Amino acid sequence: MLIVNNLVKRFNSTLAVDNISFTVKPGKIFGLLGPNGAGKTTTIRTILNIIKPTSGEIIFNDNPISYEYYNVIGYLPEERGLYKRSKVIDVLVYFAALKNLSRKTAINSADTWLKKLNISEYRDKKIEQLSKGNQQKVQLIAAIIHNPSLLILDEPFTGFDPINQQEVKDLILTFVSDGKTIILSTHQMELAEKLSEDILLINKGRSVSSGKLSEIKKNFGGNNIRLGFSGNNISLSQFPEIIKYDNYNNYSEIQLKEDIIPSEFLKKMIEKIEVNHFSIVEPSLNKIFIDLIKKSSD
Amino acid sequence: MLKKILTISMWEYLEKVKTKAFIISLIITPILIITVTMLPSLLLNEDNPKVEVIGVIDTSGIYFNYLDEEFQKYLLPDGQRNYVLINLNHMDKSFEEKEKTADLNVLKKSISGYLIVGTTDKDSLIAEYRSNLFGNFKVVGRFEEALNHYKTRKILEKAGVQGYLLEKIEDRTRIQQIKISEDGKVSDRDFLTTFFLSVVFILLLMMMVVYSGQMLVRSMIEEKSSRLIEMLVSSSTPDELLTGKILGLSLLGITQILIWVLLGLSLVASSLLPITAFKNILPMLLFFILGFLFYASLFVGIGSTVSTEQEAQHISTYLSLILMLPVVIAMPAIQNPDFIVTKIFSYIPLTIPTVMLLRLNVQNVSNLEIFTSLIIMIFSIFIVTKLSAKIFRIGILSYGNKPTLKEIFQWIRE
Repeated sequence: MLIVNNLVKRFNSTLAVDNISFTVKPGKIFGLLGPNGAGKTTTIRTILNIIKPTSGEIIFNDNPISYEYYNVIGYLPEERGLYKRSKVIDVLVYFAALKNLSRKTAINSADTWLKKLNISEYRDKKIEQLSKGNQQKVQLIAAIIHNPSLLILDEPFTGFDPINQQEVKDLILTFVSDGKTIILSTHQMELAEKLSEDILLINKGRSVSSGKLSEIKKNFGGNNIRLGFSGNNISLSQFPEIIKYDNYNNYSEIQLKEDIIPSEFLKKMIEKIEVNHFSIVEPSLNKIFIDLIKKSSD
Repeated sequence: MLKKILTISMWEYLEKVKTKAFIISLIITPILIITVTMLPSLLLNEDNPKVEVIGVIDTSGIYFNYLDEEFQKYLLPDGQRNYVLINLNHMDKSFEEKEKTADLNVLKKSISGYLIVGTTDKDSLIAEYRSNLFGNFKVVGRFEEALNHYKTRKILEKAGVQGYLLEKIEDRTRIQQIKISEDGKVSDRDFLTTFFLSVVFILLLMMMVVYSGQMLVRSMIEEKSSRLIEMLVSSSTPDELLTGKILGLSLLGITQILIWVLLGLSLVASSLLPITAFKNILPMLLFFILGFLFYASLFVGIGSTVSTEQEAQHISTYLSLILMLPVVIAMPAIQNPDFIVTKIFSYIPLTIPTVMLLRLNVQNVSNLEIFTSLIIMIFSIFIVTKLSAKIFRIGILSYGNKPTLKEIFQWIRE
């Protein structure tokens, strides 16, 4: 669907994107992750052809990206806002017309989406009369009204309350089940973890990690266990198998050395302490994110 | 391509034309300008095309026939008499009753006013003009002239001056101003009216440029601060967006011009403006429209670099100062057609539109000069649009700090 090869974007003296490559597979959600100022938005803008890359290529459906693809791509920018003094329906029809939709199709599509997102009653209201959350919903509709095959969402969940977040999440999932492709740029790791299959983690314009999320998790210190035990006098540092550990109230999260088999380690522990909980845990994306960003920033 | 440009321009146009501010400015601006510039000349030269019926109560019985005869010389443009005098003295009533009836007639508007004229014991003349309006300078002035004339004549006759000498004494000299042009035609257009017309055009152009320019910049600031611009440029090319915006703004301008032209025509129809004032209307409209296009494309380029309302204000202030230049140099330009500054300004794109609007009416501008200026204008619109497009491309996506001139030059070179 979309292939980005050795993308570089330089603004005067600053290198915003430094040699990034990734592939977005059709019908999947691709997570473009990174801290603020990592180069996510610049990457998105080059994909959208809003700015020209300094070097590198962007291939969309086997062809270099060009203005012709505007009508099949949808984009929701990070910061939100609409023409405040215009009517909801007028704004939606305008954006649809910019994507080459006829007025009739646009109105039909707008009405369908307004209904789906439970904001039909505001159809003929001015944008400024809507709550912030509802304004964002309108903007989301403006991004998807032309039924794009590739949808790029930059921080789609910010500013929504939990109920609306749920609605937006459901909408994204419906889109994917319809065979659409989504690029999700965010620093909300929990949602990215639940939604995306492939990710690219970037920091300071450089790729830190990329690929299938499950693989990344496996490769990132796959040897994590959660251990609950009684007795306060035991120091975990005495065990050479442990790389590091975090103590919580009722349990500890422990990272074991690569070659240690967790079940063997459990046997050894049972001999020494009274274990009341044992489980193998995957690292959360949040943890991977923080660890990798810290490492790459050093 | 074309469809998107049209979509954008229609959106820009409709969103702005619907605003209350636009509708108010559309009507208020010309009324304000015309009132301010034309009022003095209207007050002084007003030619009321109506026939006025004026009553006369002549207690002495000697003035009415004389006045009636004198007032026959004032004619309306269609040849009708301007004034019809009615002798209110014929009625067989007391003076107070006559006055009362006449007052009633004034209030009923069957007469526009009436004159009471009589002589005192010492043979001096007293007169009073009564009407429901104050400021009938013209009628009152004419009565005064006639009565004074009568008095002078009587005094001189008493002194033994002969009739034909009297006429010679009273034959006043009046100077008529005539403008001579190179092609030998003479023009007797009222200088003040045409000069004011130029000023009206210049002010209209300035208000229009500043007003619609500001509106455009304000909407671009809104699009930038809400990042709407990113949704726009991911749906259309920057060139489409720029062209659409300029086109939308021009449509807005054309709407304004059309309505103002209609307003001007109705002024002509009501004879407030002489039709001759519109002799140069074609080249004037041409310079007007080109000037608007030039400034519109300039505004789109500069406007795209601005992120705050305040900066936009600064820009429009500078531009309106440039647009007002011709008014400053108007007097020397009128008095001396070879005034070098005017000549120079006639070749600088920024000042061509307004300077030419002024010169076309107060000087004789050769066709070659008009042609050259037009070519310069068209050429600069082309260049400015190209440059604006380059600035626009990057400007609309740069937020925060205002770019330096150096940076803008860099954008142009990219």
